Amino acid sequence: MKKTINIPLGSQHISLLEPVRFRFECENEKIVAVDSDVGFVHRGIERACTTKFKFDGVGYVVARVCGLCAITHSLSYTAGIEKLLDAEITLKAKYLRVLLLELDRIHSHMLCLSHTCENAGFEAMFMRIMGDRELIMEIQELLTGNRVQFDFISIGGVNRDLSPEVAKIILERLKIVREKTLGYMDEFKNNWSLSLKFKGIGTLSLEEAYRFNAIGPLARASGLKIDVRNEIDYLPFSEIGFVMQTQSGGDINSRNIVRLNEIINSIEMCENVINGLPEGEIFTKIKGKPKGEVVVRFEAPRGELMYYIKGNGKPILERVRIKTPTFACIPAFSHIFVGQNYADAPAILASFDPCLSCTAK
Amino acid sequence: MQKIKVSLENIRAKIEDFYDEREWHFITLNGVALSEEKTEVQWIFSKYESLDDVVIYYAEIEQNEVVPSIVDMIPSAIISQRELVDMFGIEVEGSEKGLYLDKDSLQMPLSGCSL
Repeated sequence: MKKTINIPLGSQHISLLEPVRFRFECENEKIVAVDSDVGFVHRGIERACTTKFKFDGVGYVVARVCGLCAITHSLSYTAGIEKLLDAEITLKAKYLRVLLLELDRIHSHMLCLSHTCENAGFEAMFMRIMGDRELIMEIQELLTGNRVQFDFISIGGVNRDLSPEVAKIILERLKIVREKTLGYMDEFKNNWSLSLKFKGIGTLSLEEAYRFNAIGPLARASGLKIDVRNEIDYLPFSEIGFVMQTQSGGDINSRNIVRLNEIINSIEMCENVINGLPEGEIFTKIKGKPKGEVVVRFEAPRGELMYYIKGNGKPILERVRIKTPTFACIPAFSHIFVGQNYADAPAILASFDPCLSCTAK
Repeated sequence: MQKIKVSLENIRAKIEDFYDEREWHFITLNGVALSEEKTEVQWIFSKYESLDDVVIYYAEIEQNEVVPSIVDMIPSAIISQRELVDMFGIEVEGSEKGLYLDKDSLQMPLSGCSL
């Protein structure tokens, strides 16, 4: 008779900085079944958006769903309201929104890569990437006035313009970050701890990626061509130089390489935004109250973020639904763990880059 | 965005006919409270590599009706089915309460009911 033991990972665990609990059923070292609990810190933000705040303030509330992709949340909500009000913003405001969106992606991917290093026992690399990440955090502070919870996007445009002095500093720092990222690329491709050790571990095949509706770097590492930047024309991603990054391995190593390539592409996009920034206003005054319903999608660092908004012409909205990337990927995460060694579970989990702040919105 | 109304009895058959996992990406299930007794349940899809091609199948249901599960066709739907159970107090076939709320919680924070 086979014997199994249950091993919990989380809700508080040394390898996991987020309040999520996985219960692994293991047969010797192999994981044979997984159960997950993601509901430790649910904050009721969707309900607050339709009971406590008027629609013009909700953009600042949803920015608090997540500290890492605050821009994607406020952008998705704001774009939805602008669609409902049939409002068009200036091209300059769109460019500045892309700039912040891509900066968000760069620092979020750097955080994930540094945690991957930490889980590989490569503490020096973890600290190196976290230190370099400060360059992006400082750029965001220069642009928005804040390091994390930036209220940069508002209905009708953005709240701050980009001065030539700040633009110069950003370009200088992006050049440094690009050099640093190429250095990480070398480590992630050639260092044993970060490449061979992670090849073939935590694999999601292309077929499984389709079956589990995987999104974000998780899907693209398996070769699934899904990136919302490729499927919307609300922001001018293609003219700014967006190129979808995919790999075919589907393992931890492939996810790392996708993220590294996306950092390089995002840096190019940021440079293109600054070098080609159109003249004009950053804000357009928009009147009216949202009526009707809309679905808006954007590519957050972890994948597709969807907002469903329903208004009835009154200041308080009827429904705000937030579908976050990590939430949608939980079934795929659970599937990937099965058949893996328990010892690899923390590294596999880190490679998912889960955000429980988003999930328990 | 294309929105298609379907009766609750036919929703599984409709999705079975429509859904090709290589062509359509299942985004999520959504609920919208219409009144104290009624909820609109939505199944939201987008087409891969296609510009803004979003399709929503929806059914209006009474609070005591049971929503059929689509997990056998779309395994990733399990998480949003469980969220629907918690947030709207709706019964979804094979989906238990307790994702965000306690299993014995009487609350249904996004439904039209006051509890």
